[in-house]
Amino acid sequence: MRIPPFVLAAFALAAVLPTVAATPAQFLDAFAREARQADTAFAASAARGRAFFSASHGGEWSCASCHTEKPGTPGRHAATGKAISPLAPAANPDRFTSAGKVEKWFRRNCNDVAGRACTAGEKADVLAWLLAAK
Amino acid sequence: MSALLHEQAGVVEPRTVKVWDIAIRAFHWSIALCFAGAWLTAESERYRDIHVLLGYTVLGLVAFRLLWGVVGTRHARFANFVRGPAAVAHYLRTLLSGRPERHLGHNPAGAVAIVAMLSLAALAGLSGWALYEDLGGEWLEETHEFLAGAMLAAVGVHLAGVAVASWLHRENLVRAMLTGRKDDPRATP
Repeated sequence: MRIPPFVLAAFALAAVLPTVAATPAQFLDAFAREARQADTAFAASAARGRAFFSASHGGEWSCASCHTEKPGTPGRHAATGKAISPLAPAANPDRFTSAGKVEKWFRRNCNDVAGRACTAGEKADVLAWLLAAK
Repeated sequence: MSALLHEQAGVVEPRTVKVWDIAIRAFHWSIALCFAGAWLTAESERYRDIHVLLGYTVLGLVAFRLLWGVVGTRHARFANFVRGPAAVAHYLRTLLSGRPERHLGHNPAGAVAIVAMLSLAALAGLSGWALYEDLGGEWLEETHEFLAGAMLAAVGVHLAGVAVASWLHRENLVRAMLTGRKDDPRATP
């Protein structure tokens, strides 16, 4: 399996600079660019992101199980019942501003929901949907 | 080792002495299991409540150990095994010399690992509690993960130390932590 150099670079950056500042739009761009490595016609879709966000992917949970169908509103942890601050950047400007956090939480949550890592295309789609959410 | 050899040689009386009381042994294996479980449940939100429960149990166990380190039996008390850097260096030198200085309770190097593990377990548990109660942000998350990683490293050093000391002293320290008994120093040359 060939890993694109910029993915390695992004990974190294995420490891070295966990709090490196970025904007949600930059993450969307980076994930979409990565997705175009596999599919040159890829364009991020908020509709696909919404469907992915609500689907259970064969497991018990969906993203929405904790983050709700309205990511502009606070969520609730499906196991502990603890409050989770809104995921949509419009409602919570801290979201998707740190490469380390973005890498960490996609890794953890994709494993919990889908039982695997998310593809760059899936992350781009979800981010497009979150950026559109109010 | 000697109990078995003595039995084989027809000596019935086990030449061992009680070193670790039942509370110390129960504490040791409980905190080992709790930390292992907390480590294994850390990566998934599905096990978050179990992870938190194990972390709080670790805090309770550390609190008990601190108390038992003051009022417990002889080899459980900190005053009887926590030594300064000079004693630790001396003990490590005797290990290298091939004539290791025997301590019936914890040796001075083991004491360093114990103090490190108790401190890190307490800090990891407290930071985890603060994190779960939303008392801090991302820095607390990073701190908790760092402390847990440091605790794992300290456990690694502890295990390596147990292996090395068991080998050099020709005594099974893992079994001693299970049975509570060690070879009687008056019975062994």
